[in-house]
Amino acid sequence: MAKKSEQLVEHLFRTEYGKLVATMTRIFGTSHIQLAEDIVQETLISALDHWSIEGIPSNPVGWLVQVAKRKALNELKRNKMMQKHHQSGGLSQDPSYQIGAVFLQDEIKDSQLRMIFTCCHPSLNVESQIALTLKTLCGFGIREVANALLTTESTINKRLYRAKASIRESNLPFCIPQGKELESRLESVSLTLYLLFNEGYNATIGGTLIQKELCLEAVRLTKLLVDYFEENQKLCALLSLMCFHTARFEARLDDHGAIVLFEDQNRMLWNKELINIGMLYLKKSMHGQSLSAYHIEASIGAEHCLAESFETTNWQNIYNYYKLLGKLKPNPIIQLNLAIIQSKLEGIETSLTSLNKLTKNKALKNYHLLPATQGIFNMKLGNYKKAIAYLHEAQKLRPSLTENKFIEEKILECNTLLSTSS
Amino acid sequence: MQEFLLILKGDGMNHLSPNELQNIMAEYKAWANKLGDQYLSGQRLEETGALLTNKEEGITTDGPFLESKEIIAGFFLIQAADQEEANKIAMSSPHLGLYAIEVRPIAFPKMK
Repeated sequence: MAKKSEQLVEHLFRTEYGKLVATMTRIFGTSHIQLAEDIVQETLISALDHWSIEGIPSNPVGWLVQVAKRKALNELKRNKMMQKHHQSGGLSQDPSYQIGAVFLQDEIKDSQLRMIFTCCHPSLNVESQIALTLKTLCGFGIREVANALLTTESTINKRLYRAKASIRESNLPFCIPQGKELESRLESVSLTLYLLFNEGYNATIGGTLIQKELCLEAVRLTKLLVDYFEENQKLCALLSLMCFHTARFEARLDDHGAIVLFEDQNRMLWNKELINIGMLYLKKSMHGQSLSAYHIEASIGAEHCLAESFETTNWQNIYNYYKLLGKLKPNPIIQLNLAIIQSKLEGIETSLTSLNKLTKNKALKNYHLLPATQGIFNMKLGNYKKAIAYLHEAQKLRPSLTENKFIEEKILECNTLLSTSS
Repeated sequence: MQEFLLILKGDGMNHLSPNELQNIMAEYKAWANKLGDQYLSGQRLEETGALLTNKEEGITTDGPFLESKEIIAGFFLIQAADQEEANKIAMSSPHLGLYAIEVRPIAFPKMK
């Protein structure tokens, strides 16, 4: 009997789910993503049954592939609906031979790429794209997708239902786009992965682990694309910027889960390996003519990661990058960042003047980080009363729990400083 | 000792995420181990199948044929001293909650 391993790799089921759903979709066609998911779910449940009693097999992935393959064959035999799909360039007459082929490692990767293009198809709205990606490619459950995206299960159910219906109706091919189409399709895939990453990165401050997984999944899928489209500089830049952000993950919260401001972060906690990978892909991204917002954001990330300390950061460079970014992708958050960086170049007072001007910007009216920044800057200047007023204002704009705790502590600090100074 | 059939009803596991399935495996294993000799066997059933009611009509329904909470998902055969102990064993099962569990003594207890 084969040697049994005691423990499974963390998230093995989740990762294999994604691979197998992609493979199944290749076999059954994009109209049958639900069927693909059902077969894979059944496969995992069988694994649970067998492995709990008989122990984990020495090659768990191989076991899952075998069972999934058998289930797929049974389904093909059972259901004539597949005939149509076969004739339209899918599988040939002899399903068992072809099925063996799609389960080869390179082909599984290929199926995952096709799945990325299907999930991020421009005919779907961005919310659906992200939900579908997380559910099918990343193997998250409905509840997990809802938690990760800070919404309800019924919302996610509706998004997935609509996405699958729309894919069915438009009869999307399951393929990697070619020729002229490729460039624009890669753009939309990149954007979805960028947004997926941001969902995770911005929400991690909310304190749950699942958001970190979102980021790691975005990195994993981007890496899959980069490996295939090696020459695409925008993808390299995107991967690079994700690496720089992910590298700083551990330093953003302290042992008690409280926020650590960027300037106070322990740079020793930054992940050197990820920073190096980020640098590698940033270099690759510079080989061609293309300059995208991802390039600039990655350059900003690199600038931060390479600085020895907060004080010795090259703020002028970062300011220039943001200026450029603002031109490429006008966005009020960039204006906010520019105003904040001003404090390093021209002093906090000048920065506060710019921040005050930004309060008139409608898009930032309900953005808690604006008054929060005004509060912190006033605190640095010793204007504690003013600082408290701004921090209260920020609290009213629904910061996350962790952020709220941080603001609360700063208010407390201001009060203490006020009472000792008087 | 008497044999009991634990009948699991529902479709709970279909709704677990891959991560949740992986995590429940450890609990399931621990449960079966703890039962030791009292655990005799267990199987999950496919949701497909057929329902036959009498010879005249033959197959009346091709499965799945019931409301999801009525579907028999699988069974365990266990040994227990009495109904009370069998209930306790069912109560400690990680499947309870995902499934409703019917605890039924097997008629004509084996003499041991």
